[in-house]
Amino acid sequence: MSLRYIGKGVRRVDGADKVTGQAMFVADITVPRMLHAKVVRAGVPHARIVSLSTTEAEGMPGVHKVVTGQGCEILFGTCLWDQPPIAVDRVRHAGEPVAVVLALTEHQAEEAAKKVKVEYEPLPFLLDPVEAAKPGAPLLHEKNGSYRRVEYIVHSEAGSNIFHRYKLRKGDTEAGFAAADVVVEEHFEFPLSAHCALEPHGAICRFTQGGDIEMWASNQAPFVLRDVLADMFKIPVTRIRVRIPYLGGGFGGKSDVCIEPLVAYVASKVPGWAVKLVLSRKEVFVGSLIGRGMKGRMKIGARKDGTFIALEAEMFFSDGAYGDTSWPVVTVAGHNCTGPFEFPNCKVDSCGVYTNTPPVGAYRGYGHPEGQFMAGRLVDMLARKLGMPPADLMRKNFLCEGRKNGLGQEIKRSHGDLFACLDKVEKAIGATPLPAEDDTYLYGRGMAAMMKAPKMAANASSTAYLQLSNDGSVFINLSGIEMGQGCQTAFSQIAAEALKMPIERIRMYRDVDTQFTPWEWQTVASMQTYRGGRAIVLACERAVELLRQNASLVFDCPMEEVEYDGEACFRRSLPGNRLPVGSLARGYMFGNGLTVGTPVQTTGTYRVAGVTEPDPETGMGNAAGSWTFGVQAADIRIEKATGKIDVLHYASCFDPGRVINPVTIRGQIAGGVVQGLGAALMEKLEFGANGVARNTNFGPYRIPTVDDMPDRFTIEFIETPNPEGPFCAKPIGEHPIVAVAPTILNAIRNATGVEFTRLPVRPEDVLEALRRKEGV
Amino acid sequence: MAAITLKVNGTTHTIELEHDRVRLAEILREQLGLTGTKVGCGVGKCGSCTVLVNGEPVTSCTLLARKADGAEILTIEGMADGAVLHPIQEAFLDAGAVQCGFCTPGLILRTYSLLRAHPTADDGQIVEMLRHHLCRCTGYEAILAAVKLSRERMQSA
Ligand code: FES
Ligand code: FES
Repeated sequence: MSLRYIGKGVRRVDGADKVTGQAMFVADITVPRMLHAKVVRAGVPHARIVSLSTTEAEGMPGVHKVVTGQGCEILFGTCLWDQPPIAVDRVRHAGEPVAVVLALTEHQAEEAAKKVKVEYEPLPFLLDPVEAAKPGAPLLHEKNGSYRRVEYIVHSEAGSNIFHRYKLRKGDTEAGFAAADVVVEEHFEFPLSAHCALEPHGAICRFTQGGDIEMWASNQAPFVLRDVLADMFKIPVTRIRVRIPYLGGGFGGKSDVCIEPLVAYVASKVPGWAVKLVLSRKEVFVGSLIGRGMKGRMKIGARKDGTFIALEAEMFFSDGAYGDTSWPVVTVAGHNCTGPFEFPNCKVDSCGVYTNTPPVGAYRGYGHPEGQFMAGRLVDMLARKLGMPPADLMRKNFLCEGRKNGLGQEIKRSHGDLFACLDKVEKAIGATPLPAEDDTYLYGRGMAAMMKAPKMAANASSTAYLQLSNDGSVFINLSGIEMGQGCQTAFSQIAAEALKMPIERIRMYRDVDTQFTPWEWQTVASMQTYRGGRAIVLACERAVELLRQNASLVFDCPMEEVEYDGEACFRRSLPGNRLPVGSLARGYMFGNGLTVGTPVQTTGTYRVAGVTEPDPETGMGNAAGSWTFGVQAADIRIEKATGKIDVLHYASCFDPGRVINPVTIRGQIAGGVVQGLGAALMEKLEFGANGVARNTNFGPYRIPTVDDMPDRFTIEFIETPNPEGPFCAKPIGEHPIVAVAPTILNAIRNATGVEFTRLPVRPEDVLEALRRKEGV
Repeated sequence: MAAITLKVNGTTHTIELEHDRVRLAEILREQLGLTGTKVGCGVGKCGSCTVLVNGEPVTSCTLLARKADGAEILTIEGMADGAVLHPIQEAFLDAGAVQCGFCTPGLILRTYSLLRAHPTADDGQIVEMLRHHLCRCTGYEAILAAVKLSRERMQSA
């Protein structure tokens, strides 16, 4: 069967809204009776609040109220309830809200916020997760271990700052290392970083005087948010309505919950008024979620022939003041730090540690970049030790049919073909010889392979609602958040293909509104096109069934005799007598008004079946519901005089099962690679001696510009059909970022002979290393 | 407080300023409802808020509104002719240069100002101009392609 829309570069369905400025983001929304909020933040990393005076602020022009945490007994969370919406008597990071001023204009709120007086008694602060995890370290949470939590999956260690430890125990690593001919081991660091979605976080919330909660938010997880609000305020879920307009990028930084509990708490103090908070960019750095923050050690053992036999790793995540958004990152970083390789014996300890920084949350790649940075670099080191090309060493150990991953799950052919990915990347990168060192530059080539599996609630599902109209046009309603990844366009393509209809007749609901759009877990883990797409295919299949059933009533013949071709239904024996789909949309109405059949409105639901949480003892189990594999390679050039690194060629090949849209998928890969270059070469949230973040805006926190883009991209795909996915597709959104850091650092090693193991590698680091090398 | 006059997308407005530090972006977004101008950083570093002031690209998050008194301003809302998109807008769509769309309005306006002044701008000038803008989604590849496509289309238009 030839496909009309799948695999075609269909224009984005949200494109016209976005190029004309009409796309609505939360900051663009104004509702009646709205107050503007300005947050007063701690400014100190760890302290007890001695006194808090709002009197002067309350007297300022336009001020409606100043809300503090006094008397607040709420702790919110989804699996670990450890965070108050606003500081009560203690602050645990410098960006923590201590008061919120509500005024008629933003300016008035800002002016009044300056008048809030807070006195602190400083407490010792901790930024380093290894230090913070040590016995005897000052505690951020004396109640760690006794907070309400889902005990099967969150493993807190009372009396310490370790709020979650994930353990993987597969096979016998001691015996494995004893049998190894070669062992490599290193310490690594992946610093705290900021997502830097261009749209700052925002939320509007109103507690109606009738007892309902209305919210508009820049959030990837409206249904999770709704549950959290219901739990915070002890009201039924059904009395909460969350609306999500377009998101100006998410990358995980807007997933789970972020600033919304604060805005809701404040709104609860002014029933009838709407409260609007839009963070400044600086506040996004200090007062939303940040990412990464891993310090770790990994050790790999192999036989002489290159077969991997054991892996041992330890990771400490600087997860900030609260742990609910980061514990699952810690888990998945642990069990997937093996990368796309088989290790018969694994011992991994991955710890989420309370530190005095903003809380860490999901960030594109979700633990995979952190863990696989270590694996990707060690494989390169091991290859050199074995005297083997890295590509050969990878081939020897790739996950493939019949092999088992760290969790003990058996890989099937449909999970993807790493060998084919590697072949393509080798060929693309090898086509241009790497220049030899010259007076000005060193040149290097590096490669790394990756895998990513979604981390999701075991009950995560998507539901599509489909409605056919009497003109033959179709509504699809599904709560996937459009944040730039292009799910709305992919959904339209999938629906048009499944219904065999022109894509112009398909219309996706735009805004997600928990009152009208079907329940959906959340838009994370690169699962939207995959899981939502499957739900749409099912809804479309049911719609076609209903159309044929309606037609069979009109023709008065068995349904098996009715055919459907996208435009009409007809009886196989009488192909000339066609009933257009529109005429069957609400049942079929004869000339005299008599109507038979059923209105064509259907639903389709898809959940990845059989997913379980990892076993608390071994850390193994059926925790991953799908995989996507890929390989990347880069040619770089280092300017000897400055240490500056230019990426000459960046080649990627992934196996997404099926490319739904070649234009949007290329955009995902190019965007992910460049974001990964940011992590490899420039990005790091820096803290001063006072424990306060210093580089909290664009500029001081440098992210890639057009100058940092590779001179050349190769972006290719292998399409190993995955029968589980819509038209055989697999997740592919976060994946391009996972292997960038090891790829680039392997290339730097190739160019300079220096083994970097800490990110980012900035020009000054390269220069210093080159000088040190020369000095030796 | 002082009032200023702005001619925005062809229409003249007289606007009262709440205080003397009000930025142009706030006026456009909050007083005139032109929310297509996006504020990504508020400090002149990301380019999302770029509008044309007397034909010149300016970060409206840093420009004091009173300094724009009497100016002619073009915002993203003034780019299309009714429901007919400007060729640059079409080019951004065709090149796949739009993902989340937050950086897009500013980029389109900057591209317009460049190509109006230099219809045959070379690739170096294009890169130079793009340095003023951050995009976290696309990796810039498609944006570069969109600007080149715009150059081609505006020449043949
Ligand atoms: S918002 Fe004006 S430059 Fe960033
Ligand atoms: S498209 Fe999202 S920032 Fe450029």
